[in-house]
Amino acid sequence: MTVSEERVQAIRHRLKEVQSLPTLPPIVSKLNRMVEDEEVTAEQLGRVIEKDQVLTSKLLKMVNSSFFGFPQRISTVSNAIVLLGFNVIKTLIVTSSIFEVMQESDVGLWEHSLGCATAAGILARRRGVKNPEEISTAGLIHDLGKIVVRSELPEDYARVQDLVAARQVAMREAELEVLGVGHGEIGGWLARQWNLPDRLVRPIEAHHHPETAGEFRELAAIVHFADILVRAVGFGFGGDPWVPPLDHEAWERIKFGRSVAREILAELDDKLLELQDFTMEIQRIGED
Amino acid sequence: MARIALVTRGFMASLDERLCLESMGHKVALHADLARALDNILNDPPDLLMLEKGLAEGVELDIIRSLKENLQLAFLPILLVVERMELAVGLDWDAYAVDDILSAKATVEEVIARVELALARMRRVADNNPLTKLPGNSSILKTIQGVLDAGAPMAVGYVDIDNFKPYNDRYGFSRGDEVIRMLARILVNVVDEAAGEDGFVGHVGGDDFVFVVPLEAAERVCRETIRNFDRLIPLFLDEPDLEAGCFVAADRRGNRCEFPLTSVSIAVVVNADGRYSHYGEVAAVAAQLKKKVKAETGSAYLVDRRVADNGPPPA
Repeated sequence: MTVSEERVQAIRHRLKEVQSLPTLPPIVSKLNRMVEDEEVTAEQLGRVIEKDQVLTSKLLKMVNSSFFGFPQRISTVSNAIVLLGFNVIKTLIVTSSIFEVMQESDVGLWEHSLGCATAAGILARRRGVKNPEEISTAGLIHDLGKIVVRSELPEDYARVQDLVAARQVAMREAELEVLGVGHGEIGGWLARQWNLPDRLVRPIEAHHHPETAGEFRELAAIVHFADILVRAVGFGFGGDPWVPPLDHEAWERIKFGRSVAREILAELDDKLLELQDFTMEIQRIGED
Repeated sequence: MARIALVTRGFMASLDERLCLESMGHKVALHADLARALDNILNDPPDLLMLEKGLAEGVELDIIRSLKENLQLAFLPILLVVERMELAVGLDWDAYAVDDILSAKATVEEVIARVELALARMRRVADNNPLTKLPGNSSILKTIQGVLDAGAPMAVGYVDIDNFKPYNDRYGFSRGDEVIRMLARILVNVVDEAAGEDGFVGHVGGDDFVFVVPLEAAERVCRETIRNFDRLIPLFLDEPDLEAGCFVAADRRGNRCEFPLTSVSIAVVVNADGRYSHYGEVAAVAAQLKKKVKAETGSAYLVDRRVADNGPPPA
């Protein structure tokens, strides 16, 4: 086994112990406040939960666990909520672990994820994909790997960031050098370990090389392109300032003409503006 | 109030001790020989059996096992009375299929507490469906009769899955179980949101469920159950069937048959103005309604129109 293989094995082993991931504190306080309000419905809670990549993946982990008995079936927050109900959601919120301090980079990555979810949803609807909500979910949690590395392997995460800054390389490139594996694969391992459906796992692990996603190539291509689009318009922060390279085969798969592109960008602009209101609100709660 | 069979020689043998149990409202029958007591237990089962270890050396384990393997007695709680010394040696709890143990030196207070706990535990789990953990038939019956006795304006909904058999045949039992669990969770969550503590959901068995909610919540429960079921069921079907819009299967003569995809039917019996006084009447009305609602294609519900003349006809 080479050093790098050993390293990768060690990381996989480490992932087995990941029980929970940190959530942005303002989102949790907002949800906690909502839970105390008797008028609030599970659906309303769902609309806030589906704006957080960690809570969303936790909820999906829960509903796909063998305890509830629907392994690898449920891929969206709204469907998970129908099955889990208000009380379980409440428990999830109350037990969410929280970052002590909200870091600039956490907020940036969260905004990037939200933006990617939005763009993926727009592209999915354009292409007439059957379940656009599912692709939004994949977009939201596509960078799960970055969060795991940041919370479980903080020293490596710091080295990755140093490398990005010192050598001006993309985050994925730095990850491959430091960890021997990229965040896509890491996120995919975790998602698989949590019994999330393949329809989510494959796009997560393949969002930088969508053609490897087997029968879920189209979903992966959409997430891939959404990721790039959101980076290009400068919404949020994905860990490095560069737009990832476009996979040409993926582009062939989902490409559209100039006039459609203009419409898509206009729609994205509108939606991102709405999102900004929400992210500002959340950051204000964080400052209180 | 429970009927307790006490099979002991020394333990709780004094009348005073037994009176303490009696004072809690229980009826205690004392036996000194397990093998002989068995007849009594089988013919007229108690609610709880307290058994001193060592009364029937040789056949003791067989007796315990046969009690536990008896379908009617599987839920009978058995408390084994043991000497502390025997615990030090260690007992094989797989063989001693009892529910709890009591030290032979236990105080009366402890005995009472253990008895109450065992009974409460039995009430919690005995009737629950193992697949969904929902209350089963006797709880359903008790709940409905309670509603009738109180004369409260309540709705009793009978829910079942259409074309569940073709689904099971096609996808196998374990996926059939997934669908049953899905419907159970949908019902519990919908009833909880619409009726809170006034609502009840039970699992008759198989793909049959019953809910009880206040009259005004009934339509909402039906609509949301159907909406959620129809939204989730595609996740439990395979792509080719979804595309075909039906299950294709062969019938007993080998003819090609098409079955509509899985949906859900709900028949709601309304109890207002003390219309019904017995559970059987409710079940009979439900059976008639069920026939009508089953005739509809896709998911549908029907509220007993003989009383529910307000509100639009069911979708």
